[in-house]
Amino acid sequence: MTDILIILAIGLPWLGALAVWLVGNKRPEQQHLLAVIFAVAAGLAALLLIPSYSDAAELKIEVGSVFGDFTFVPDGLGVFLAAVATVVGSLAVIFSVDYMHGDAELGRYYALVLLFIGSMVGLVLTGSMLLLFIFWEMTALCSYALISFYNDDPKAVEGGIKALVITSLGGVGMMIGALIIYAYVGSYEISDFLADPEALPSGVLGVVAFGFLAAAAAKSAQVPFHTWLPGAMEAPSPISALIHAATMVNAGVYLLVRFYPAFEDVEGWTTAVILVGLLSGLLSALMALVAQDLKRALAYSTVSQLGYMVYAVGTGAIFASQFHLLSHAVFKALLFLSAGAVIHSVGTRDMRQMGGLGKQMPFMRNVFIVGALALAGLPILNGFWSKELVLEGGLEEGPVWAYAGMLIGAGITALYSFRMVWLVFFGEPRGTTHAHDAGQYMKLATGILAVGTFTTWLLAGVFGELLEDSLPYHHLEVETGTKIIEDVITAPATLVALGVVALGLLGWWFRKPLSGIAEALSPVGDAAANDFGFEAVNRQIVHWTKEAATALRATQTGYLNWNVVGIIGGLIAVLVILVLGA
Amino acid sequence: MNLDILLVGVLAIFGIGLYGLLITRNLIKVVVALQILVKAALLALVAAGEASNQLNLSQSIAMTVIVADTVVAVIGLALAVQVKRVLGTFDTTLLSKLRG
Repeated sequence: MTDILIILAIGLPWLGALAVWLVGNKRPEQQHLLAVIFAVAAGLAALLLIPSYSDAAELKIEVGSVFGDFTFVPDGLGVFLAAVATVVGSLAVIFSVDYMHGDAELGRYYALVLLFIGSMVGLVLTGSMLLLFIFWEMTALCSYALISFYNDDPKAVEGGIKALVITSLGGVGMMIGALIIYAYVGSYEISDFLADPEALPSGVLGVVAFGFLAAAAAKSAQVPFHTWLPGAMEAPSPISALIHAATMVNAGVYLLVRFYPAFEDVEGWTTAVILVGLLSGLLSALMALVAQDLKRALAYSTVSQLGYMVYAVGTGAIFASQFHLLSHAVFKALLFLSAGAVIHSVGTRDMRQMGGLGKQMPFMRNVFIVGALALAGLPILNGFWSKELVLEGGLEEGPVWAYAGMLIGAGITALYSFRMVWLVFFGEPRGTTHAHDAGQYMKLATGILAVGTFTTWLLAGVFGELLEDSLPYHHLEVETGTKIIEDVITAPATLVALGVVALGLLGWWFRKPLSGIAEALSPVGDAAANDFGFEAVNRQIVHWTKEAATALRATQTGYLNWNVVGIIGGLIAVLVILVLGA
Repeated sequence: MNLDILLVGVLAIFGIGLYGLLITRNLIKVVVALQILVKAALLALVAAGEASNQLNLSQSIAMTVIVADTVVAVIGLALAVQVKRVLGTFDTTLLSKLRG
């Protein structure tokens, strides 16, 4: 039964992709309908998979030879992330019915979205490193194709290629790690490696650990590889919600969590993870504070929140990290989708041309505020509980400097959340465009996510139990749901964090009297607006690559005889090496 | 049979093929030189089969390669003829100057 559900959760979206593509762009109504049906069915399959979790491989495809078996393990980590990917994915598809209405190439759009959802489910459920790599690259490919969906826009094409190059470079780090592990362990099974990481000499294990960290940082858009995520905002808004907030970027955090038991003893690894999380959390929060583009601000806030998850992994708070991932997936999808509805309505992403939209779009205003409050970490909403757990874990296990940094980040998060809400929905209207209210399907999708933002924290206990039962190598000790809630409420760290959040709120409220401080900090703001120079580094690397390619063109004469000389030269060199070596 | 003599023959034929590729500018001659190169490789393959007592395997692979190689020669010659018809020359150096 479990194996059938796994096949359904991965296969239904892929089947849907094929169906939507075959129906053809001449029948858009049927394409919308088919996409929604297959996405929702996959969501149901993934939800049904949760009760039948286990730590054994429930689905095994025997391939033989060096490939071993392709296994799928529905453990707590996998089934929860599969459910997040398919449920948020199906909501994004429902949202798309309104958002992409009238688009000429729905077939390509839905086929890629559904292909992506299936790949993401495969990525989190597979127990084989080889398949993990394949699914990993498939999500990167879908992401690239969807960012560049409007392929007549040069910025969209550039953003897509940037995302593909950076995430693929990270993927190379992961592939090298997986091959090294195979060389020592003799199997691609993740559980075989986790059972005995000592099989690798400590130096080699260190290489693997840092290779995986680079892969995760590239995928999760962590500093210094975060530059592709803002560029990815050229994609249609449901794509930003689905891929660049709720699912794909989580794959990096997932990778760190999955392999945490093997790497935690590698010298300097946890510190490096904490540092990556801290830098991402703080720097991108500052960048979100000065961004003028609504989706760009949300993208930076995604980098920042992912920084919190990575930081939690570094401090060993696996459960807190995954719990925050769940909360973040829900409220960030909500924020992106409602922002998408606003952008769809007013036709610009620039917050300077918005303002006063609350009266025209009351529903979107309300759900956006719910999402923003969860992002800021206000009580009752899911973001509050998970962020408190992350910070609490950081205070207990991690270094104090990192905790202090993350706390400041939480304050800045509150500040930019309120700034976004205010600039978009309140104040005087600055744009001339008239906004129309959102469509029914948009309201349905965001409404469900808003309810989720209020309620998913109630799952804390169940989620913790799942992880504890089915991850034998992580040695988790998760308390029951009520105990977690009681802990968060009574911990002094919560009060401190709430105080910082309140400071952020007050900072925005009294921004006029405080404008002197803002003036004094303007160099920091300017640096943040320029992406702290990371973008310049990117451009320089691209420039150097082009220069090198131009220089190397001289070696390609196009004359056959010279090429033969080159071949003979190479042959002689190989022979000489063989003779000297033997 | 003496393996050394075979290998010397392989090297000699291989050298002739390479030399042909090195000096010729004529597309037809390029195809001929390539054929000579492949024949040297085939001879080496059969010699290796003889040396490792797998003569059957090496000969059957050699037969397969001969068939595939004939196809390569046919397509190469057909292309050369088309190049001559369209561009009016067999000269590879002149042809590479045509690239845009």
